[in-house]
Amino acid sequence: MRTRIISSMLAAAFALAATATLFSQAAPAGQGARGGARGGAAAAAAPSAPAPAKDLTGVWMMRNPPGKNGPWTNFTYTDPMKNPPSLTAWGEAEFKKAKDSNGGNYTLDETNDPVLTKCYPPGVPRVYFHPYPFEVIQTPKQTLLVYEYDHWMRRVHTDGRALPTDPDPLWMGTSVGRWVDDHTFEVQTVGFNEKTWLDRLGHAHTPDLKVTERFRRIDRDHLEVDIKMDDPKALAKPWETTFYYENRPNWELGEISCSGDYLDWTQVEKGGRDYKR
Amino acid sequence: MSRNLLFVLAFIAALAIAAPALAHHGGAAFDQTKQQTLQGTVTQLDFVNPHVVVWFDVKNADGTSTKWSGWLTAPNKLQRAGWTKNTLKPGDTLTVVGNQQKNGSPVLQIRKIAGPEGDLPTFEQ
Repeated sequence: MRTRIISSMLAAAFALAATATLFSQAAPAGQGARGGARGGAAAAAAPSAPAPAKDLTGVWMMRNPPGKNGPWTNFTYTDPMKNPPSLTAWGEAEFKKAKDSNGGNYTLDETNDPVLTKCYPPGVPRVYFHPYPFEVIQTPKQTLLVYEYDHWMRRVHTDGRALPTDPDPLWMGTSVGRWVDDHTFEVQTVGFNEKTWLDRLGHAHTPDLKVTERFRRIDRDHLEVDIKMDDPKALAKPWETTFYYENRPNWELGEISCSGDYLDWTQVEKGGRDYKR
Repeated sequence: MSRNLLFVLAFIAALAIAAPALAHHGGAAFDQTKQQTLQGTVTQLDFVNPHVVVWFDVKNADGTSTKWSGWLTAPNKLQRAGWTKNTLKPGDTLTVVGNQQKNGSPVLQIRKIAGPEGDLPTFEQ
C-alpha cells in the first residue's frame, strides 16, 4: 500500500516535472512554466543556444534548477542544517546577536536586521538574496551590475587596475573584474564597512571581507555565479556557494526604494490599523 | 483507493502551490500552520513597495462587516506577472486564501487570490 502511494507520488512528480520541462522548451525564456524553481516543481534547466563570448549583458533572475540548492537560497548560502558556515569564535558570538526576519524567526517588530530596520544597503553578496532581478551592462572599462532592489549598482572596473591594498570602507565595496575565458568573468571585491550582514540570517563580517564572484554563462539563457567569501576574522574557512540564474530578455528592471512604505511595513504586519499612506 | 488518490492529489497541490519566498521579510508574524479562505469586496488596492496590499470588506454572519487587508509580493513582481494598479478596483468581488496574523488582526498573508475574472498570479515567473 505504502509503496503504491509513494510510486503514485513519484509518478505525479515526474509528470509535473516533464510537463514543466515541455512548457519551458516551448516558451521563450522569461515565459516558462509556472511554479518556478523555488516551488520545487521547476522546469529542468533545458539547454539553450550557446552563450555569446565575453558577454553577460541582460536581465538575470535567480532560478534554482531541480536538485540544485533549496529554499535556503532565499536567505543564506548553504543549507543551514546540513552545511552551515565555519565561524570563528568572534563570528559565532556576533551571529548569536542576530535576530533575523527573513529566516522566519522574528517579526519585523523584533528583528535587528539592518536592512529591514534601517534600510541600510544590503552589502555584497547579501544583495543577491533580494528576490529581484539584476542587470549586467558592459562598457569598455566598466561592467555595471545593476540590482533592482533599491537601485543598487556596483561598478566593476575592467580597465586592468589592481584591487586597492588599503581600501576605504564602502557599503558595496570596491570591485575589479576580468575575463578568465570566453564565458567566465571573475569579480573580486574588497573594502567593506562592517555594518552589513553576510546573509539574511545575520552572519557577520569584518572590514577584511573579500568576495570573489565567478560569473559563468553556461549558455545563452543560463548563468551560474560561484560566490566565495574570505574573512579570516569571521569565517574559520571561506564560505562558498553557487547561485543559478536565468536570462529574462523580456523583463525590464523596475523601481524599488527602501524607504517610507518599506520601513512602515511593521505597522501593516502588526495589524494594519495604523498604516497610513 | 480513493484515500490514496486524495493523498496523491494533495501532494500535487502542495507541489504546485508551494509559495515563493517572501520578498521583504519572514512570515513569523503570521500563522503558518493554517490557511483560511475569505470572500469579500475590494475597497482599495495599494500598489506600493514593499508589498502590494489589497483592502476588502468581509460580511460576518451577524450582518456586520470586517475590514481586512491582505498583502502580496512586491509591485514589480506582480507587474511582470501582468498586474497593474487597476487589476482590482473598489467594488470587485474577491476570494483569497492565506495565513492570518497570529495576533488575530484581520491581516492576511495571501497565498492565492481570485478577482471577478478568475485567478490572479501571485508572483512572476
